[in-house]
Amino acid sequence: MNRLSSRNRKVVYLVGMIVLLVPIIVLGMPAASGEGSGGYLARLRQEHDLGETSLGEVDPSSATMNLVLLGLRGVATNILWMQLQEQKETKQWFQMKATTDSITQLQPHFLKVWQYHGWNLAFNVSAEWDQVEDRYYWVKEGTKFTMQGSRRNERFPELYWDVGNMLGKKIGRSDEWQFFRRFYKSDPNTKLFEGGPDPEISRFGASEFEDNYLASKYWFHVANDKEESQAQHIMMRMVFRQYPARAQMDYADALQREGLFGERTGQAWAEAYRDWTEQYRTGDPGFGQEIFYTPAGGVRLEASEADMRELAKKDSVSLRDKRTWTSRYQDIVSYRYWRTRSDAESRGKTEAAHREIFEGQKLFREGRLLESKEMLEAGMEKFASLLEDYPSLTSDDGFIEEGLMAVLYWRHIHTLLEIPFPENFALRKLWEKEAARIPSLEIDFRRDNGIG
Amino acid sequence: MNFNPLPYPIGQAVIFWLILFGSVTGIVLAIALFTSLVARGLKGPAAVLGQVRDFAVDMIRLSPRRVFALSSLTFKEAIRRKALLIFVVFALLFMFGGWFLSGTGERPDEQARVYISFVLRVIGWLTLPVVLLLSCWGIPEDIRARSLHTVVTKPARRNEIFLGRFLGFSAVGSIIVVIMGVVGYFWIVRQTPSDLVARVPRYGDLAFLDREGNPGRGVNVGDMWEFRSYVEGATRARGLWRFKDVYPGDNPDEGLVLESRFEAFRTHKGDMERGLLCELSFFNPETELRVRHRPFQVKEFSQNEIKIDRKLSMYDEETNTTKEVDLFDDLITDGTLYVEARAIDPGQYLGMARPDLFIRMANRPFYVGYAKAVFGIWMMAILVVALGVTASCFVKGPVATLLTLTFLIIGQGFREFMDRMVFQNLNNVLAGGGPVESWIRLIRHMNPQVPMEPGVSTSIIQFVDARMFDLLWIVQHIVPDFRHFRMAPYIANGFDVNFESAIVPGLAVMFGYLLPCLLLGYFSLKLRELEAK
Repeated sequence: MNRLSSRNRKVVYLVGMIVLLVPIIVLGMPAASGEGSGGYLARLRQEHDLGETSLGEVDPSSATMNLVLLGLRGVATNILWMQLQEQKETKQWFQMKATTDSITQLQPHFLKVWQYHGWNLAFNVSAEWDQVEDRYYWVKEGTKFTMQGSRRNERFPELYWDVGNMLGKKIGRSDEWQFFRRFYKSDPNTKLFEGGPDPEISRFGASEFEDNYLASKYWFHVANDKEESQAQHIMMRMVFRQYPARAQMDYADALQREGLFGERTGQAWAEAYRDWTEQYRTGDPGFGQEIFYTPAGGVRLEASEADMRELAKKDSVSLRDKRTWTSRYQDIVSYRYWRTRSDAESRGKTEAAHREIFEGQKLFREGRLLESKEMLEAGMEKFASLLEDYPSLTSDDGFIEEGLMAVLYWRHIHTLLEIPFPENFALRKLWEKEAARIPSLEIDFRRDNGIG
Repeated sequence: MNFNPLPYPIGQAVIFWLILFGSVTGIVLAIALFTSLVARGLKGPAAVLGQVRDFAVDMIRLSPRRVFALSSLTFKEAIRRKALLIFVVFALLFMFGGWFLSGTGERPDEQARVYISFVLRVIGWLTLPVVLLLSCWGIPEDIRARSLHTVVTKPARRNEIFLGRFLGFSAVGSIIVVIMGVVGYFWIVRQTPSDLVARVPRYGDLAFLDREGNPGRGVNVGDMWEFRSYVEGATRARGLWRFKDVYPGDNPDEGLVLESRFEAFRTHKGDMERGLLCELSFFNPETELRVRHRPFQVKEFSQNEIKIDRKLSMYDEETNTTKEVDLFDDLITDGTLYVEARAIDPGQYLGMARPDLFIRMANRPFYVGYAKAVFGIWMMAILVVALGVTASCFVKGPVATLLTLTFLIIGQGFREFMDRMVFQNLNNVLAGGGPVESWIRLIRHMNPQVPMEPGVSTSIIQFVDARMFDLLWIVQHIVPDFRHFRMAPYIANGFDVNFESAIVPGLAVMFGYLLPCLLLGYFSLKLRELEAK
């Protein structure tokens, strides 16, 4: 039985409210501008960098949506995920993209969500479309989406790395790479971009964005910068750190694949060598100069015997251990191979070998057999000499196949000209050593040239 | 979603409705007569029949004036209860809606689709809760406030009270839908950069020929979604369409416009610089005349328009000459046109479904299709009002709300699932059994293919499951199929809302429930103790 009068009850309620207000203020008072201000929760947020503003760009629509949903964010997200799955199965790609955006509005700081959807758009959805222009559109959508994710979560290196990976691997290495690389510079949507690139992904004008691999290198660089203050959770740290230099190598390699030889390609390889072993153009130490921590202390991949001795002394470990771990780490990223490759490729002789083989094959396709034969012979000579100078390249699939393919063209010219195939030729050693690869390469050769 | 508008078999639907309605009414009447006979002897059935007679009399003597007065009162009450405050939420959503909608920048047609879906969804989501709450709480609130006593003591019949409430709430719902529809229309037009039209398709029937040219099915290329079947390129596989009622238009020199939406599937890279090629042929089975049209590149998930001239040229292999063929005179007999679609590239496939090839008729303005889509939402709102008012005649407000909401959720969200379950059960293709069996399988980690051990327990489980499926069958036939009111996919896909495939089923469902609701509401009010709170 309540014996209190109405007035007394109101006073009790008021006192109760004031008492409850104290812990609410202590816990939840918002932070003022100064550091360490605000309630307990605000201070914790500052301490662990968990505030909305410290995680990345703030999207007002996302914040509103989460606020309006009160505690039902999880339920709404689940419903959207189910919707997305159905839209994906029934190929409603644009609706799926809209649902994807809604999901990220609700889960803006869930990195896996950004990674999953970015990959889904750039790799899975693009593969569902038949026309190569449409595929490129979806690759761009996936990349832009991941870029948006990186802006919303700017402290974390993963999404920056993903953008670099999409710009590099997806545009430069997929089956459609020749189209994609062309579209990167001149977007197929001419109505909107008037023959230029899509500025959202290529930021044309800046030299580091003129090629997809250079753009990729830029994003990997940013990922590395972020990684210095926030650990990534994609792969081993050393493997993660190599990507800017590897993107430079991919860039140089792509120029070669496209038949661009000369000073520009040579410089690209020379820069790749510098990035790998010495120093980036940005002034940061090159990949080989970085210290990575192993059970035997810090190791540097670009290390002389004296360097290793010094490091061993510093870390109080045996030189043998230091050497073992350095070598083990070098093996993980094929450090020595890439060092040799970029060094070799930056030299004029290598460039000439590639160019002459490429030109010889082109002449063959144009039906200029005698000129092609001469060009291929010159290229094969240089190629053989290159393999002698850099024996480690004889274990590189790309080099082996290039050499064998040159011989296949050259051999076929002999058949067409009805002249005997000479017993001795420049790449005979490689031809005999890698004989097992020839049948499959011959199939490629016949298919590429329409030979029945 | 399978966007495959099929003509609604209205004749069959009416017969089915008559059988169902007649059976349920007959069963209820028989039970009432029997129980009254047991309870009150011969006076009982006479009383029951008296009630039926009263209903007939009340319906005959129905006064439109009193119904109008009651519905005006209902309307005023609803406005007094601030039902129109929903426009504030509506305005807020439209002011900030653009924030939450993704821009599909380079594809204005797709952007329009997103905006149209958004507007129609918002109208539906805002209207339905309002009319649901109003209709479910109206009569219980009258009973609670005893204002109903003043009505029933006047010469107002129970059916007039029901209809007055129903029409009053329907008027509120109609105003909300109309205003939101008009505002939504201007919002879409303002937001969408491209010109909006409502395309009018004429669909045909589709059959397939297999790679040997025999009637069969297309190939499944591994899609979970079995909407499309695929025909293999450079074989005799074909998609074979038959279009009916194809006659020359107003301009006799004009041919036809076809639109296709095939899907491509490559088993090898092929020529990546162009899309897969598709060839259409027109043929007349009576004269065996066949004309091949020039191949076109398939552009997926987009509109591929193919203009067919009235005068077509074909190469006659017998005379080695090129001759001219008239599309309507030589290829179409009795208004029937046959079109074959084949893939040209060897080793590549083209996916086809019935709505993937159609004849384009003259476009209609966008507002025509949009208005029809809004009309679909209106029909749904009216049905919700009918269900809500009916429920409120025999239960209190909260229970009526829950009941109507359950109907709405099951009829819209779970309808497909329920239909699938019932279909699979009736055809004995349901994997894993009913709910009890599934539960046991889950606990025992048994996959659906492993048979249950024969025995008494299994027989009991299967008996219980069978009864549950009987119950599900009943629910399936009682709960309205709200999917018939969804016309947004038409207009979002750029089509006009088809009368036969969309409007007719919507009207059929709405009217199909009105009479049973009126009956149930009438007798509930008549037999209910209005003093009860």
